Amino acid sequence: MTIIKKNSSSYLKTIGIANNGFNGRGFQNPYSIVVNHDKKIFVLNRCDPARRTAIRIGVFNLEEDYLYEFGQGYGTENGQFVWPVAMAFDTQGRLLITDEHNNRVTIFSTEGEYLTKWGTTGTKSGQFDGPSGIAVDHEGVVYISDQRNHRIQKYSEDGDFIGQWGSFGANKNQFNYPWGICVDIDANVFVADWRNDRIQKFNGDGEYLSTIGCSGDAQGQFIRPSAVSVDSIGNIYVADWGNERVQIFDNTGNFTDELRGEATLSKWAEDFLESNPDEKETRDISDLTPDIPDHLNTPYHISSQTEPFFWGPVSIYLDADDNLYVVESNRHRIQIYQK
Amino acid sequence: MDTNANDMSIMAHLMRRAGFTATRMELEAYISDGYESTVEKLLFPGEPENMPDDMIRRYHVDQSEMRQIEGAGAYWLYRMITTKNPLEEKIALFWHGLFATGYAKLNQARVLLNQIDMFRRFGLGSFKTMLIELSKDPAMIIWLDNNDNHKGAINENYGRELLELFSMGIGNYSENDVKECARAFTGWTLKNAEYMAVRAGKDSIWPYGRIAWQYQYREEDHDNGIKTFLGRTGNFNGQDIVGMIVEEIATARFLSTRLFQYFAADEITDDSELIISSMMDSYFESQYQVSAMLRTLFNSDYFKSEKCMYARIKGPVESVVGTARLAGSYRKPTLDVHKLWFQTFFMGQGLLAPPTVEGWHEGTEWIDSGALVERINFAANEFGDVNKPGVKYIIDRLSRQYNGSIKPESLVDGCLDLIGPIKVEDLTRESLIEFVSSYNDTSLLIGDINSIGAKCVAQTLGLIASTREYQLA
Repeated sequence: MTIIKKNSSSYLKTIGIANNGFNGRGFQNPYSIVVNHDKKIFVLNRCDPARRTAIRIGVFNLEEDYLYEFGQGYGTENGQFVWPVAMAFDTQGRLLITDEHNNRVTIFSTEGEYLTKWGTTGTKSGQFDGPSGIAVDHEGVVYISDQRNHRIQKYSEDGDFIGQWGSFGANKNQFNYPWGICVDIDANVFVADWRNDRIQKFNGDGEYLSTIGCSGDAQGQFIRPSAVSVDSIGNIYVADWGNERVQIFDNTGNFTDELRGEATLSKWAEDFLESNPDEKETRDISDLTPDIPDHLNTPYHISSQTEPFFWGPVSIYLDADDNLYVVESNRHRIQIYQK
Repeated sequence: MDTNANDMSIMAHLMRRAGFTATRMELEAYISDGYESTVEKLLFPGEPENMPDDMIRRYHVDQSEMRQIEGAGAYWLYRMITTKNPLEEKIALFWHGLFATGYAKLNQARVLLNQIDMFRRFGLGSFKTMLIELSKDPAMIIWLDNNDNHKGAINENYGRELLELFSMGIGNYSENDVKECARAFTGWTLKNAEYMAVRAGKDSIWPYGRIAWQYQYREEDHDNGIKTFLGRTGNFNGQDIVGMIVEEIATARFLSTRLFQYFAADEITDDSELIISSMMDSYFESQYQVSAMLRTLFNSDYFKSEKCMYARIKGPVESVVGTARLAGSYRKPTLDVHKLWFQTFFMGQGLLAPPTVEGWHEGTEWIDSGALVERINFAANEFGDVNKPGVKYIIDRLSRQYNGSIKPESLVDGCLDLIGPIKVEDLTRESLIEFVSSYNDTSLLIGDINSIGAKCVAQTLGLIASTREYQLA
């Protein structure tokens, strides 16, 4: 199978290894990633039910040193999570984390200290039914995709309700289970309008500006986009979750490139294989990019059998140097592309 | 019983067998289509309609990755609970019991679900095609060691079970047939077989989670020598072997009997022998089509008769799914849905985890004191919640019918009707009436689900679920 390699972003490396959940390096269903000014990388581990008591944030660096981890486990108490989705730093350097089951935002320091939480369940202004994507602009305005209320809400960093826009539907300014959200350097807001298979762009006041994409698997089309991010010169990156790929658009929304994934062995993966020679020997003679039989010829099934490809790219992130991080929930790893 | 009630009773019976029970609204829609038309729609359902995969995968990371059994089992249960094509799932469950393949040896949930999907695609079609697809199925290849079946060094495990458990039955072939069958299936393996076998053996998830499997034919490992099978001689490959198997009367009888016991009655009687014989005729006349065999069964007078009604004990999966469908639970992504899989396991039928290649022992063996308590507790919890959409619907329907005072007898009869209809013994009905009579006020008011009467309805439904008749299909 030919791997598409026409990247304006070039593949740099893979970080990660599947983790059974309970501690130490590796990831368990990673769902979100952010990088702070110290170049520490924070990964949110959502964890499957069998390992959910180990819900946590793991911290490491680009050199693959696993530094520390924090969290207060699974549940509804302060600092706990049930279905955490996304993270963002606020202007104070605090880590804001959404939870689509607990219907709240939880805030930790980067050292792992639980600070506070805000949000309640409901449909009124200032309430949530499934907060998912989160983004903070340079003035400290927090934007949250309130998915089952099919709207975007604006808050202060301390959780004071500022405003909202959107309703259920497929017209402009309407949403269908919105997921990822980001703010560009001009304070425009981009929303991954998940079940409408499109990206919508607004100004910070919620005025509609433009749309990218429609349903499909061709270039410039999406199946359930989960995340969007914009680099320093306005290029738009979209995690095209249902097509198991990342698509890249220029600042006017024209398609320029797509990434399907090209994972290699992380340092942690190499360590594992070194101590498990039976797996290494048989792996070395295997074809991990096989041709796929017709009845399994869907992006999901292809990715389930093709180890280098993205599988479950739930979120993406661009750091200060415009390096792209693709978070793969089903493969427990991060693929990193360099600008 | 008047004509309408009889129609309802027969349609409910059909949907308990060809599906997982149906709600009153579904039954009314089926009756409006007519019995034989409904049978045809069940047999040829068209595109699957159930909870969409994207909704499941967005919330349940375990059901996106399919790393472990409980997530995979929950995914299948979601499909069974929300499908509008119930026979598609019911026949997949039939084949899962017959071609029992388990997670314990595979450590691979994704490929098990791929096998289940294969059962959906071919389950109502040609038995010949089904056996060929089964022989190519990666989960089956590892489960019965055909990856270790090599030219010059056969492993007869798959060849033996293909004849003994999957088609003809013991006594209809020789030991030499087993060996020759195994030779014909040499080279039928999976891609990257060595690596995948090592990972399966160690339950390795490293470095990056499971890698799904796919079939591969290795010509260089296939025994191209002359073989003699069931009295015929030639350079047979696996497809040729299957072609000869499906022509056997023993195969027709085996499959007809298994289908009869799954869809009609646990016990074989003189009456059932006649139907089985008709199903065998349909098998040959249709070139081995399962749909033709089931059409013969479902449209027979025997199937619609009192003899066939309540002649099967519901399996645990039928019980869990049927109760969830009636209660209206799990219609959207629900936290802890994986616990449903544990329910099937505690009741003795862990989906994707059959105890052996022989599958589950069915009929009366489903019921022991522990499993029965699990069934009753599960159903009581489901029906006891007045906020469940299905329970709310029954309360609402009774409220609209009576709007105000309702006699205990009417409340019991209404519940028995709307949860089925189910016909219980007189003594059971009297006990239910006695229970309802213990309530001071059973009035039902339209739109009020929090009244004592509404709670009485929910409790009564839970009690009905503990009756012998509810546990029968």
